[in-house]
Amino acid sequence: MGDAEAGRKTFIQKCAQCHTVEKGEKHKTGPNLWGLFGKAPGFSYTEANKNKGIVWGEETLMEYLENPKKYIPGTKCIPGTKMIFSGLKKKSEREDLIQYLKWATSSLRKYVISQNF
Amino acid sequence: MSSWSRQRPKSPGGIQPHVSRTLFLLLLLAASAWGLTLSPKDCQVFRSDHGSSISCQSPAEIPSSLPADTVHLAVEFFNLTHLPANLLQGASKLQELHLSSNGLESLSPEFLRPVPQLRVLDLTRNALTGLPPGLFQASAALDTLVLKENQLEVLEVSWLHGLKALGHLDLSGNRLRKLPPGLLANFTLLRTLDLGENQLETLPPDLLRGPLQLERLHLEGNKLQVLGKDLLLPQPDLRYLFLNGNKLARVAAGAFQGLRQLDMLDLSNNSLASVPEGLWASLGQPNWDMRDGFDISGNPWICDQNLSDLYRWLQAQKDKMFSQNDTRCAGPEAVKGQTLLAVAKSQ
Repeated sequence: MGDAEAGRKTFIQKCAQCHTVEKGEKHKTGPNLWGLFGKAPGFSYTEANKNKGIVWGEETLMEYLENPKKYIPGTKCIPGTKMIFSGLKKKSEREDLIQYLKWATSSLRKYVISQNF
Repeated sequence: MSSWSRQRPKSPGGIQPHVSRTLFLLLLLAASAWGLTLSPKDCQVFRSDHGSSISCQSPAEIPSSLPADTVHLAVEFFNLTHLPANLLQGASKLQELHLSSNGLESLSPEFLRPVPQLRVLDLTRNALTGLPPGLFQASAALDTLVLKENQLEVLEVSWLHGLKALGHLDLSGNRLRKLPPGLLANFTLLRTLDLGENQLETLPPDLLRGPLQLERLHLEGNKLQVLGKDLLLPQPDLRYLFLNGNKLARVAAGAFQGLRQLDMLDLSNNSLASVPEGLWASLGQPNWDMRDGFDISGNPWICDQNLSDLYRWLQAQKDKMFSQNDTRCAGPEAVKGQTLLAVAKSQ
């Protein structure tokens, strides 16, 4: 079970330049991630990200975030993504980030007790 | 609006036509159900109103010529020490070029001449030890340059000549030990500088001097021992400062003096036992509401009276403090192991 607070720091450090998470926030270079879990990648920014096979969830994100540019076997993947992000090698870092995303991109947000959020 | 590979699907050979056609249709059905691409050994081409987007990974063949309306090209995960000489010929509308994870050892100085509108160049994970002079002569439109995870041991100012519009420079994950003076002197639009995960032991004090307006500075994962008072002075609008994972033992009293709108400060995992009084004066509340927070965990704090200033500051912004449980006292004996917040509260 990842640590969402650590994941939040990772997000600020490595993702926030191009992505927002809150509902209604503008797209930056990359798409706003509200409602991420359960969605299929479909931001029309790169055609290469249009993919009917993948639905974002913990497993697909674990794989994707390790190396976002690489072909994900068994799926119609996402080669040539516009991301200039080369991935998170450490499993724990990905787990933390995904925990944060789970909270930050959904209505789970209002149930978090921690004062940091 | 989008189409898959240009290649026409092949039917399995050596079987009678109607069987092979049925098989093929079944395959298509299965493929579309599972989202499998039929011909992964070709580059993928997408066409839209904006132009063509071409994406190639090994074992596809790198195209010998590109459509004139190509705006996005990705050639990644090949085993290539050099790019084909005329790769970008005729693609004058190219905006983004992703060349990550190849193995490129050098670039030809004229290689970017055909693409004056290029905005993004991603060279992550190659084997570059340097850049040829004049490489960016025609790159006045380049906004983002990523040289992450190459083998740069030194950096020459002349390599970056011509990058008038550069906004994002990523040199992280290389082997830089020193930076040349005046590195950023001519960048007026630089917003993000990433020097993380290198081997920097010191920084030229004039590093951030220049007309640039830095918002993000990444220096995490280096070997910095001291943060001097002059480094950050020229960049009062800095918003994100990452200094985590260095060997910082000393931070000068006025180091954060000019910073007016710092939203995130990461000093975690250093060797800080103490910090001077007045260090925090301009940061956070009541001057500025840090939007994201700060982290001073993973340091060997000596929680004595010398930290009184820090205790006061912590109390005022504890809701912005990351890793509270990992921010502990290494001494003196009486408070060893307690969290800084607990000690601060007890003052």
